[in-house]
Amino acid sequence: MTATLEQTSSAAETVLQTMRTRRVVRSFTDEPVSEAHLRMILESARWALSAGNRYISKFLVVQDPNRIRLVKAVSPGMLAKPTALIVILTDLHKAAEQQVQIGRDTATEVDIGTAAQNMSVMAHALGLGSCPATSFSRSGVAATLDLPPTLIPEFILQLGHPAPQPRVMRSGAVTKLPVESLTYWEQVGRPMPRQAGG
Amino acid sequence: MADKLVVSEDEAYDLLAHLISSAEICTFEPYHYGTFRLLDAASRLMESMLRHESNGNREWLQAFKKEVDEKKVWMMWDRDGYFRFLREAGGKVGQALKERQARSMATAHSRNDR
Repeated sequence: MTATLEQTSSAAETVLQTMRTRRVVRSFTDEPVSEAHLRMILESARWALSAGNRYISKFLVVQDPNRIRLVKAVSPGMLAKPTALIVILTDLHKAAEQQVQIGRDTATEVDIGTAAQNMSVMAHALGLGSCPATSFSRSGVAATLDLPPTLIPEFILQLGHPAPQPRVMRSGAVTKLPVESLTYWEQVGRPMPRQAGG
Repeated sequence: MADKLVVSEDEAYDLLAHLISSAEICTFEPYHYGTFRLLDAASRLMESMLRHESNGNREWLQAFKKEVDEKKVWMMWDRDGYFRFLREAGGKVGQALKERQARSMATAHSRNDR
């Protein structure tokens, strides 16, 4: 059965609204993230764009507070105190199997980004907060999580239940840029056409 | 001068890990992130100091830590304000050090007078 225009518009609006309202959360309560929620978040990563269906990323879930503490110690970019982490790892074995050239093939980085984005949007849809971290010591995280040399930590998604804490902003602070300022139409330098009725 | 320890061994290891990891990531992050890592390290140090502080500087330390935590994140959305704060922050610490030294010297004098 084909969806009506109204149904698709409503679904698209829901998706866009979830994306629009998602924010980086840097303050969490002590409440743990449930396994059911973690499974949903991982499921969203499974459905992310993956170049050539190669799936050279692996996901490592960490909930043990002692292990989180160790990871945080070697991750200056982890400003929050999350109750769960999902670490995206590059599997070098799988990459070799698939003849992926790590460091030269940018698609591997794109795949990490798409999985991360899906997970953070899903976390938000579930009422959870998430915060990305890429500023960490690769060797430090590998050591604290006992990773074999064939699994490279690329990205850490910090998760938890958001604690109410207003962000201090100043006037003139950068906000989300309008789509027109990010987009050319057909040719570089040519702006987007004006929206009909706008 | 007070020579009381204000950082526990656990806290020192955490700070060590933070500084070493920051040095590594400074090799690929934008240069101003390095200033942020140092400010963040200062905040972590102040957090430890506040747990153990006993030299009459708690109020200043608390207020300065609050200011650092509030303004360090300006690096992400208000870079002018952030760099302005960086230029002022050293002066604030310098002033606090001077006052702390004056207090310590006054205490030492009063002890000697007894």
